[in-house]
Order: sequence, then structure tokens, then C-alpha cells
Amino acid sequence: MCEKERRRLEKLNKFQLSHSYKKIGIIASITIFSLMIAKKFIDEPDWVKPILSGLLLVSMLLISLAKEKVEDEYIDSLRSQSYRFAFIVVIIYSLVQPLVNYGVGILFDETETLKGFDYFQVLFFMLVVQILVFYKLKRYNK
Amino acid sequence: MKNTLKVQRAIKDLTQDDLAKEMGVSRQTINSIEKGRYVPSTVLALKLSAIFGISVNEFFTLEDDD
Repeated sequence: MCEKERRRLEKLNKFQLSHSYKKIGIIASITIFSLMIAKKFIDEPDWVKPILSGLLLVSMLLISLAKEKVEDEYIDSLRSQSYRFAFIVVIIYSLVQPLVNYGVGILFDETETLKGFDYFQVLFFMLVVQILVFYKLKRYNK
Repeated sequence: MKNTLKVQRAIKDLTQDDLAKEMGVSRQTINSIEKGRYVPSTVLALKLSAIFGISVNEFFTLEDDD
């Protein structure tokens, strides 16, 4: 890998948003999540769901990428731990859960088919796990 | 790895918050170093050494399982 590529990768790896984006992300996530629940009770066009799902993922990504008030090497290490944990847990969950669903489903209904997850469920779960683990680790060392 | 940060901090009569501000890190960082949950980088170790005026070896000692 040439020096230029290495520097670009390093820059990308250290990319973070300012602390104020955390508040924006939290407010947006709660609002969009409430809208997603509310839309279950009203008729809405087909295009609303993918747009809300996409916006929810973006707002959660803002929380995930926003810096803490004091962002130092320790916080950075907690962040790395949380990304690693979320990555592994979500891969295992996405592999195992459809099999569990299928196994339980076939006990009650022989026509049950093996279904995977859609991208939204996987990404949403990954972001939720990462954010929760990060704050749990932070709280643990308060 | 063991460290004597808590003792050195008490000798200098510094709170975790004071030290964190002086080093430009969060209070949690100081707390986790004191509790042995986090091993700081060389940069932080040298900053500690400069603030307290003692060598890094006096702060940190290896344990048998290190």
C-alpha cells in the first residue's frame, strides 16, 4: 500500500463528527422512530417506509460517529471495542436467528420456509448494539 | 500492569478532574488507568511522567502475567 493510500485510509478511519451531531442524531432518531410506529395505524404510500428506514439509519449513524465532549485515546479504544463487538454479534445473530426461526416455525407449521433478514434489520441491529455497548462501557468506567 | 497513579496523585493533592484537565483527557481515562482497566499509550505515560516529575518506570510496573 503506497503512502498516499495509507494516509487516506488513516484519515477515513479517524473520521468523526462534532459533538453537537449527537443531539441532532438523538432527536432525529426518536422522531423518526415515533413516525414509524405511528404509520402502522394510518394508511401511507409505499415509498414512506424505505425513506423513514433510511433516515433512521442515517440519524443513528450520526450518534455513532459524533465525538464525545472529551474525545481521547481511551474513549477511542472503547469506541473500537464497541464496533468490534457489534460487528461480531450481528453477524452471528444474522446467521443463527433465521435458523432458530425456521426450527421453531417448522414445529408448528410444516410449510415454514427459511427467511433471512433485510438490510434494514441488520444495519439497525448493528447500530443499536454498537451505541448501547459504547455507552455501557463508558458508564462502567465512570 | 500495576501503576502508582492514585498514590502519586494523592501526594500531589490533585483530583482526578484536575489531572484530567491538565493532561487534556477525560476524567474516566484517569479513573480507568488508576483501576488498571486501561493501559495508556506511551504519549500519555510520558505526559504523566512530565506532570509528576518522575520516570515512567516509577508509575508502571509489569506483573507476572504481562
